[in-house]
Amino acid sequence: MKINFKINGQDANLDVDPQMPLLWAVRDELKLTATKYGCGKALCGACTLHIDGEMFRSCSISVEYALGKNVTTLEGLPESHPIKQAWMELQVPQCGYCQPGFMMAAAKLLQTNPHPTEVEIQQNITNICRCGTQSRILKAVKRAAELTQK
Amino acid sequence: MSEDKKAFSRRKFLKRGAIALGGTVVASYLGCNPTRRFIAQKVENMDLPASISSFNPDFWFQILPDNHILLKSPKVEMGQGIFTGFAMMAAEELNVPLEQMRVEHANTATGIEDELGTGGSNSTSGLFKPIREMAAILREMLKLAAATIWKVPVNQVVTQNGILQYGDKKMTFFECVTATKSWVVPKTPALKPASEFKYIGKEVKRVDLKDKVMGTAKYTIDTHFPNMVYATMLPCPYFNAKLKSVKTAAAEQSPDVLKVVQQNGWCAVVAKTQYAALSAAQKLEATWDVPKLWQQAEMEAMVTVGKGNAVNVQKVGNAQSTLENGAGQVYKQAFRTPFGTHAPMEVNGTVAHVTKDMAIIVVGTQNTVPNKALIAKALGLDKKMVDIQIPYLGGGFGRKGRMGNVVETALLSKIMGRPVKMMFTREQEFQNSFYRPLTHHVLSAKIGEKGDIQAITHDQASPDMILKHIMGNSLPLKLLGADFISSGHGASLLYNIPNKSATLWNTEVPVPVGIWRGVGMYPNTFATESFMNELAHQTKKDAIDFRIGLLTDTKDEIAQRAKKVLEVLKEKSGWTTAKPAGIGRGVSIANDRKSIAGSVVEVAIVEGKIKVQRVTQVLDVGMILNPEGIRAQMEGCVMMGISGALYEVVTIKDSQISVSNFHELPLATLMDVPDIQTVILANAHEPYGVGEPPLAPIAPAIAGAILDLTGKMLRNLPLKL
Repeated sequence: MKINFKINGQDANLDVDPQMPLLWAVRDELKLTATKYGCGKALCGACTLHIDGEMFRSCSISVEYALGKNVTTLEGLPESHPIKQAWMELQVPQCGYCQPGFMMAAAKLLQTNPHPTEVEIQQNITNICRCGTQSRILKAVKRAAELTQK
Repeated sequence: MSEDKKAFSRRKFLKRGAIALGGTVVASYLGCNPTRRFIAQKVENMDLPASISSFNPDFWFQILPDNHILLKSPKVEMGQGIFTGFAMMAAEELNVPLEQMRVEHANTATGIEDELGTGGSNSTSGLFKPIREMAAILREMLKLAAATIWKVPVNQVVTQNGILQYGDKKMTFFECVTATKSWVVPKTPALKPASEFKYIGKEVKRVDLKDKVMGTAKYTIDTHFPNMVYATMLPCPYFNAKLKSVKTAAAEQSPDVLKVVQQNGWCAVVAKTQYAALSAAQKLEATWDVPKLWQQAEMEAMVTVGKGNAVNVQKVGNAQSTLENGAGQVYKQAFRTPFGTHAPMEVNGTVAHVTKDMAIIVVGTQNTVPNKALIAKALGLDKKMVDIQIPYLGGGFGRKGRMGNVVETALLSKIMGRPVKMMFTREQEFQNSFYRPLTHHVLSAKIGEKGDIQAITHDQASPDMILKHIMGNSLPLKLLGADFISSGHGASLLYNIPNKSATLWNTEVPVPVGIWRGVGMYPNTFATESFMNELAHQTKKDAIDFRIGLLTDTKDEIAQRAKKVLEVLKEKSGWTTAKPAGIGRGVSIANDRKSIAGSVVEVAIVEGKIKVQRVTQVLDVGMILNPEGIRAQMEGCVMMGISGALYEVVTIKDSQISVSNFHELPLATLMDVPDIQTVILANAHEPYGVGEPPLAPIAPAIAGAILDLTGKMLRNLPLKL
């Protein structure tokens, strides 16, 4: 089935099984690989991206859902985005694999709540990291909130 | 003279040679032998099979046309930050800005092979000297070449920022390389003294930071080849089953499926897309031959002190006799740690591109050499024709290296005649893997009438984690009786107690087991340091002062460094300040191959659950190379330590693994982040490991804090009130 949508401002014109998870369409068909596979069951958040400004775990949503919509992946956030700047400043990543998902979740949180408390960050970002970067993630989200204010 | 000196001789350098390739100088080097040294330190005077004692990790440098210097790393970057440390060391001797260094994984086609793989926290510390020596030789080679080109004395050629200079004459490293046909290799120059270090020991940004923040860092599953197809393996629901039969018709009819392949006991679906492969695999109807349905209770019964082979690994005085005779109280307790899974966020995967006479295998592996041999054998290719290319690893923790279906993927590529990408599902990652083995520990102490500790014994039961994988068979285990390298890692007792002994009991279990971050330190420190907390509690002593009182041997460097770590912990953690209501404090230390790690933890009980509020981590790394990298590892170990101490458990039921996805394996999250304070000490003359040592003390410190708060000792991981 032909499925057209926008991704990071560009046209995406796919001819795929409409039930294919958006994750595989983005990674394998469109070759945007920042969005990662982690669990396939919307449990870990490694595949987090935005569709029309809302946050989704793309392993558990079909590509058909994106039809006619605007999809944003980490590649679509500019280098100057406060989240990316804060992640650079605090040197958050270790292996780095889960970080795109965390950054997309954090970007969405700040969009809806520009000054989250620590508890709000903890309750809203439920992604999983195994290297143990969680303490820096908390700091980086707070730092990004400060950078957004400026 | 030491191994190091011998290995650094000019003869050995020339053995690998300095060769010119396409206008770039490539110098590879037969370096010293950190992995062997690590093993030698552990086993001391024991004889090892020859294959264990002949590891020769190599590495090389290359000058690129943009005058950047590329260092090809034999060790893999899986988050530990080793590429940054390597760049710092090389930049130091090459006298170039850090930004001029690039670090990439070596691929095996270049001849660089690292026999033992990446692990044991020795990548940065072990290559501290070889990388600097190699960089210094390269710098002098470039100066000699420039002196020849300019026909000037070499001692008047200087170099800075990748520019060679004599008076007004200047050229870049790359210009020098392109103008030089024949290279002179000098003797190893004297290395820069620590007082002149510009990068080593200083704050620098991670070299992989930008790629990882911008999302451009490439991992195995991000690899794409033209004409590539996707495969998925039929998952096996049991750890001990053989595939009896499989009905493939429905899968073969599934949309976009290219082929269903059945070979020696495994089955895979190959399809045009990942989705098509995964969908079709669900339509395979397999029957399995399961010889026996094993249960958790049977595993625990097998891995119990007193069963299997016993090997003594520490004997000071006569602990047994002291326990049995004379006045005083015998205090005895048993501890258990469970099976564990690594759970790297990146599942295992492989991309294979096999042609008639060549195999390109992209795989994030901690063990290239064994994988290469297996692939070559399966494909009937010469090992030289197998090129393993390594992207960044999305976490390893010991998991990436074996049982990754690398060979199966290579065979699928050969069968399909096109590149094949195969990745595990999370369910396969959790269920078709190997596990940190469960352990059992019995500790006994003789407490004298004045509360003095006269003797202590530690008996530990664990399956072998490493020996049978080094040799590919059970011979070393038979020869050695028990796995003293990994299971026995940390089993010996640190304190200066007049009579002490540590004994390993080996029983093999039917579940595949292997190394997990922290190796033996993780279970052994939980047991021994928990027991120390109990002894302090029993004798009504302060848990830090009690330990300091047992580190009395002033000639024992480890004991003195451990004492210092405890003193710093006491001060920095506010140990002697009044505890707020509802807070318990606990402490633990560990000597992990000469890195001394210590933790003080504060816990509270919130809504009936253990909550770690504050952690003070002190790590004496011997010598500080990359402080930012050390801090990151310490923070990571705090979180993994909390996760293991409070949540993680894998059990066996009917020969199946209890966890299938993250809903069944709760891990520490943002909710669990405590207030973390890290303190790095440097109280030796050489660097030691960083990636694993800070992990082991977390769980026993938490248990100690609960003992402090409630008076109740929790002796099994994960800790449950």
